[in-house]
Amino acid sequence: MKKSSLRIMISSLIVIIAASSLYFTLSGGISALQEEKTFVTHSGGIVKTTGEILDPLYTSATMEFDPMKYLRDFNYGRVSQLSDGTTLREFTIIAEDNKIMEVSPGVFYNVWTFNGTVPGPTIRATEGDIVRIKFINNGSKEHTMHFHGIHEAQFDGVFESVGAGGGQFTYEWKAEPVGVHPYHCHTMPLEEHIVHGLYGVYIVDPKEGRPQADEMVMVLNGLDTDFDTENNFYAANTIPFYYQHHPIQINTDELIRVYVVNMVEFDPINNFHLHGNLYHYYPTGTDTVPSFYTDMITLSQTERGIMEFKYDYPGKYLFHAHKVEFSEKGWVGIFLVKDNNNQNSPKEVQYGT
Amino acid sequence: MELSNKSSKAKIIISGIIPFAFLIILVAYIFGPGSDLLDLGVPLPEITIEKVDFVDSEIRATVRNTGPITVEIVMADINDRIQPAAIEPDRFLERYETALVRIPFAWNEAEPYTIGITVEDGTRFEKEIEAAAHALEPNLELVGFFTIIGTYVGIIPVMIGLLWLPFIKRISKNKYHFFLALTVGLLLFLGIDSVEEAIEVSDENLAGSFNGTLLVATIVVLSFLGLYHSSEKLVKRAESSTIGKPVAIALMIAIGIGLHNFGEGLAIGAAIGLGSIAFSTFLIVGFALHNTTEGIAIAAPMSRGKTMIGKLVGLGMIAGAPAIFGAWVGGFVYSPFTSVVFLSIGAGAIFQVVITILRWIREEGDKNLSSAAVISGTSIGMVIMYLTSIFV
Repeated sequence: MKKSSLRIMISSLIVIIAASSLYFTLSGGISALQEEKTFVTHSGGIVKTTGEILDPLYTSATMEFDPMKYLRDFNYGRVSQLSDGTTLREFTIIAEDNKIMEVSPGVFYNVWTFNGTVPGPTIRATEGDIVRIKFINNGSKEHTMHFHGIHEAQFDGVFESVGAGGGQFTYEWKAEPVGVHPYHCHTMPLEEHIVHGLYGVYIVDPKEGRPQADEMVMVLNGLDTDFDTENNFYAANTIPFYYQHHPIQINTDELIRVYVVNMVEFDPINNFHLHGNLYHYYPTGTDTVPSFYTDMITLSQTERGIMEFKYDYPGKYLFHAHKVEFSEKGWVGIFLVKDNNNQNSPKEVQYGT
Repeated sequence: MELSNKSSKAKIIISGIIPFAFLIILVAYIFGPGSDLLDLGVPLPEITIEKVDFVDSEIRATVRNTGPITVEIVMADINDRIQPAAIEPDRFLERYETALVRIPFAWNEAEPYTIGITVEDGTRFEKEIEAAAHALEPNLELVGFFTIIGTYVGIIPVMIGLLWLPFIKRISKNKYHFFLALTVGLLLFLGIDSVEEAIEVSDENLAGSFNGTLLVATIVVLSFLGLYHSSEKLVKRAESSTIGKPVAIALMIAIGIGLHNFGEGLAIGAAIGLGSIAFSTFLIVGFALHNTTEGIAIAAPMSRGKTMIGKLVGLGMIAGAPAIFGAWVGGFVYSPFTSVVFLSIGAGAIFQVVITILRWIREEGDKNLSSAAVISGTSIGMVIMYLTSIFV
């Protein structure tokens, strides 16, 4: 009796094993019938797969930060006139440090932000305006705002740390000098506060203005997602490969003005190379006469400048770091130049008055 | 009487179950109400790139989730440069699940490459390949090539070793014991060598979660015990049949050596498959030299019976031919895990052979393993192997 029950058990076990192995082989057969997907490699090759595609090609559906919107988004503040006629520009900037953002498809990184984005908002004023920044720290760590430019020591954002969980501080100064400057948190450990994303661009326009142009801001930055003090990604405006998959549309014969600020940490240099064209370069944007006419400028930490160019011929033109490692890790984009023969009214530069 | 017997049986069963019940409660508590207790620290994702194959304009990496949590594979790179890639069957990996990452890339022969895989929290894992070489695809030509190599390494040296049989037959008992002890030394060295090799492969290619060294230890012991047990049975049965004890012992030695040679073939096939061609030439010559000694090990017990050429050749095949199968497996379907497993089985088998020979010496001789012949034979065997391992 006992032996026979043992026999039944063993034979039923064998049946189960046989059935499950059959299932596994069959299910393998079923998955082999799945629809094949196709993708194009960086060198143009076409690959088919039954699985999934891993590509930093960004789809706008999952995007929290829109590099295309940031590109041409200038903040002029709440404008009012002081009694002596000086323009006052007031800004409110809120720092946070708990946000997890998808920085590249599937890659989630804890970004520290000014007003919710990396880079923070582009702050723009005209030379001589009074800039007043109400800073609120909603983060869990101390933060400050340190602007490059000329101001009193008390507004330098170094020794006046602003406490976590709602601490406030108001920075105020006269906008000078003319040019493009970075701002960033200056709390120690400084490198950590910068690489997590607490930085942005501050533009001071000359009183007489600059010639009309299609203006844009590019912050060259990197992301060290595995905290080994080496960048895993590089980009113009945070999202790797974004402008490669979403080319920036510009027009022929239209003046393009790019405010470029290098905020890459860890690597000593970064650079900006333009294809099919050369640009006039104004280092720090402090002079109205360009220093260089070139297609390649190398920038160290927080080095910045203004690049001006016009395209004669329509088509697709790459721009990227000629430190090619950076471009292969995301710092690469495309200008899609459209023929401008029918358009006679270039965009006006808005000064937000 | 019957009744008390039954109740005592029930008592035994209950007393066996009670600790289990408490154990279940203990585990259930940790997973249920007590789960807060374990809420310490952050579980970190971990993956291991177990294998990299270079095929036409494509690099294929086999990735295994060897961490405590489910991971999502999000990016692939080559030499730290991001590349679009495909992952099959999908990018979500449960614990110990594997996936194949296909990276289109125009790689160059013999150049080093680092394959990087990034998971969803931005952590990057990498594996370095010293020299890219085309992945071997099973075709008749290669199968033939591996067969020749396996024959060269496995069968021929063992057969050459067997040629010492007439010599061993004619020598005195003491010298015979010396030669038996010599094979003990040789095999002991080979066994330790296999263990070292297995640990090395597991350290380099298996994730920490496999507990490589303990995996090797467990398999060596299991393989040893399994063979030891069946060897006992076989020898006992042989004693009462016409086969004869010497043949049974020689057969067990041949089986043990065969298992070991399967591991050797695996190593050779893998070395060729992974592109370290120069290394595998050394490997082939080294193994061929070593394996002649295995022939002696088989010949030694046979020398005390009738010379049976047919049986001898058969035993030589049992010992040598697995090298061919090993080379096929190693070259075509290499995986570090199976490599570790087979190297360990081989080591356990060798240790079993060592024990079998030692017992043979004990029975043959004067129940004595401390004679000058045995001690010197074993020592010289070890020294010979050590010296050849330096030169090879």
